[in-house]
Amino acid sequence: MEVRPILSALLRNRAGAILVAVQIAITLAIVVNAVFLTQQRVEKIGRPTGIDDQNIFSFNSTGFEKGFDFHAMVREDLALMRRMPGVIDVTPMSHIPLSGSGSSSGFYSLPDKKGKNEPANIYRTDDHAVHALGVTLASGKTFEPDTVEYVSKESQGWPPTAVITQDLADALFPKENALGKVFYDDQSKPIKIVGVMSHMHGSWVGWDKVGQVILAPRVGPGPSTSYMVRTAPGELDRLMKDTEIALRARDPNRVLNNFKKMSDDKRKSYGGDSLVAITLSVVTGLVLIFSSLGIFGLATFNVNTRTRQIGTRRAVGARKRDIVRHFMTENWFVTSFGVVTGCALALGVGYWLSNQFGLPRLDLYYLVGGVLGLWIVGQLAAWQPSLKAAKVSPAMATRSV
Amino acid sequence: MFAYYLRLALSSFRRNPGLTALMVFAIALGISVCMITLTSFRAASQNPAGDRAGILFAPSIDSWDPNDGYDSPQTDADTGRPVAPTMLTYRDARALYASNIPDRKVIMYKAGGIFSRNDKGMEPEYISTRMTTADFFAMFDVPFLYGGPWDAKADAGPDPVVVLSKESNQKAFGGANSIGKTIMWHDREFRVVGVLNDFEPVPKYFDVSNGSFNDMEGAYIPFSWGQVLELGSDGNTNCWKTETIESYLDFLNSECIFFHGWFELRTAGQQLAFREMLDNYVTEQKKHGRFPRPLNNYLYDVKGWMKRNKVVDDDNKAMVIMAFAFLAVCLVNTVGLLLAKFLNAAPASGVRRALGASRRDIFWQHLTESGVVALAGGLVGGLLGMAGIWAMRAWYGQFIDQVPRILPFDSMTFVIVVSIAVCAGVIAGLYPAWRIGRAAPASYLKVQ
Repeated sequence: MEVRPILSALLRNRAGAILVAVQIAITLAIVVNAVFLTQQRVEKIGRPTGIDDQNIFSFNSTGFEKGFDFHAMVREDLALMRRMPGVIDVTPMSHIPLSGSGSSSGFYSLPDKKGKNEPANIYRTDDHAVHALGVTLASGKTFEPDTVEYVSKESQGWPPTAVITQDLADALFPKENALGKVFYDDQSKPIKIVGVMSHMHGSWVGWDKVGQVILAPRVGPGPSTSYMVRTAPGELDRLMKDTEIALRARDPNRVLNNFKKMSDDKRKSYGGDSLVAITLSVVTGLVLIFSSLGIFGLATFNVNTRTRQIGTRRAVGARKRDIVRHFMTENWFVTSFGVVTGCALALGVGYWLSNQFGLPRLDLYYLVGGVLGLWIVGQLAAWQPSLKAAKVSPAMATRSV
Repeated sequence: MFAYYLRLALSSFRRNPGLTALMVFAIALGISVCMITLTSFRAASQNPAGDRAGILFAPSIDSWDPNDGYDSPQTDADTGRPVAPTMLTYRDARALYASNIPDRKVIMYKAGGIFSRNDKGMEPEYISTRMTTADFFAMFDVPFLYGGPWDAKADAGPDPVVVLSKESNQKAFGGANSIGKTIMWHDREFRVVGVLNDFEPVPKYFDVSNGSFNDMEGAYIPFSWGQVLELGSDGNTNCWKTETIESYLDFLNSECIFFHGWFELRTAGQQLAFREMLDNYVTEQKKHGRFPRPLNNYLYDVKGWMKRNKVVDDDNKAMVIMAFAFLAVCLVNTVGLLLAKFLNAAPASGVRRALGASRRDIFWQHLTESGVVALAGGLVGGLLGMAGIWAMRAWYGQFIDQVPRILPFDSMTFVIVVSIAVCAGVIAGLYPAWRIGRAAPASYLKVQ
């Protein structure tokens, strides 16, 4: 295939070619980075929470009258709810995982603030927590019922046992089996690990330590607690209503509020991430559509203004196939020029984004994908105009336009 | 002449409706995406304090861990020093509140509790409450529907007084003027002295530690009731120090931070004096074994405070950049299409040139055409953007904490956006218009 005539034809229509190339370059820079950023968000949102988050709802119960017996309220509420058909299990919880509201503290692998120091999400709950959250135990077991403390004052140090996540176990005791080991709070109170959960998300999904969680066997002092209710699949909506009615009937003198599905909390916590992902996907799609329409438009124009030239080539023996190949090759040159410029631009934008916003560096696979994709888009957009060019009859050479 | 060019432009659109629509649509989409992201960005970065922004100051005292600074390794953009905590300990809040330098001053924190009525006139309800001091209402320009703020004497009491939000007053008293009526909170009777009108500064600049776009509190109660009733914080509480905390008093005297302080300092002299006071206070406290870190205090105005607290998050900025990059693609596209369109119609220009039109006439004619395309694109884009903002408000606003709940929409934004579109469109048309103006008429006439 003779490249020289194609190039010289191209050079005579510089403006259009440059515009297509510029457009492809910017498109590549946007699309590659946007897809990369979107992919990270999608991965973040899709991480398993370790919790049966589709079948759990939570709510809050607060006593307000004088002489209100918080512990009796919790015990009676739990007994009532655990008997309700469709309820798999219920647990009182100091905070709600995935909700954005929680509590965390630092813990040590050795006493006197020595050894490894790791932060963790803390949930004070009872012996039903593991079952009610639907988390799986990697080793050990959950609390014995008689180890759950119902306390009347907030600050009484830590309960002597805990169930923790594998993430926290690995962070505190790397390369060791953490089960049965003891770790310490900042007052050097020893806490024994009785169970290790495979994984559980804490309260803040944006935190890089979201998987470091401690369940502590303690309820109280009140007068307010959250409950987490795990239901059989499909029973959640019904039980959200029934639970409220049943608990109101049992004791009207408290406030029940904040009934919400865990799936909604999850969606809300990832709301910013999904907004970014959706916006970027829409922009990516639109950029691709407009770029291909632009290439198509310019290619069509290119063919229209060169009918005489095409006719001449046909008259001197070029086959239809040659004409198509000519325009497709021309387009490929232009696209490639754009793509090469675009690679530099994409890398620049990626570098700048990662510097400015502390994002990970652009993965080169995305760049390769973007280049291949744009080559295909460019060729597809030029296909129809090239066919149109091939239809120009050789007689065009002798005719004026 | 301009009217004639307009007519020419319109007839040109009729000749190529598909191409024209594509250009209009390209500009419109680019513009609407910019408009939506810009509105969100502006809402987050706007100055909610109006002309008070320069006289309201929030101090930041480095009370933190000697080994591990607050928000480490973040440093202050202006001074390059490590940043300091964004909230105050109880002791420090009280000490700063005692200063006579400011014209007005407020210390506060977020608490909550069940409100009810003695006469069972309302369902008991959990309402988040701001524990604050009397100047709060004047300092932050809070509008009242009924009554007014409590006076400073009520702070000292503390008197059992409450200011309700419009919404809480609706729940408790059906929206009636409730001044002088009482409402129960934490099992005590509080007298309503004021009911707020709509009050929702975006961002919620006076308490960004508990969410810059969070809901306003439903009730306001004198600060000291927090200590009388031994209330902890309903918002963020951060502690670093190992301390034996066995009572509420221990907790108050700990290094835990959950208080906010704002000070109205009208003159440069006051501001300087306040800064000196901060440093002197910390130096004095160091003698008592507090503040183990080097002297590192800040006094932020509203703008500086929002920057320090990163009210505009990085996602928001990145989206604006993405939107403008998208607009750039749309514009390059439009340049190409305009060029194609103009060159296609070149023979007609050739005829006009031959009949005596100058290059400049041809240039202006085509630039007018670009301008009309851009204006159409801008108007369509503006409408699309409005629809997008409306959708964000309806859907995401109540759903996503990172996006302001209230996206302000004003006609100014619309005008700005349409102007951007027209400017961009005219700039996009410059090269094609120049190119067609430059083409020699003879070459077109020859083949005609």
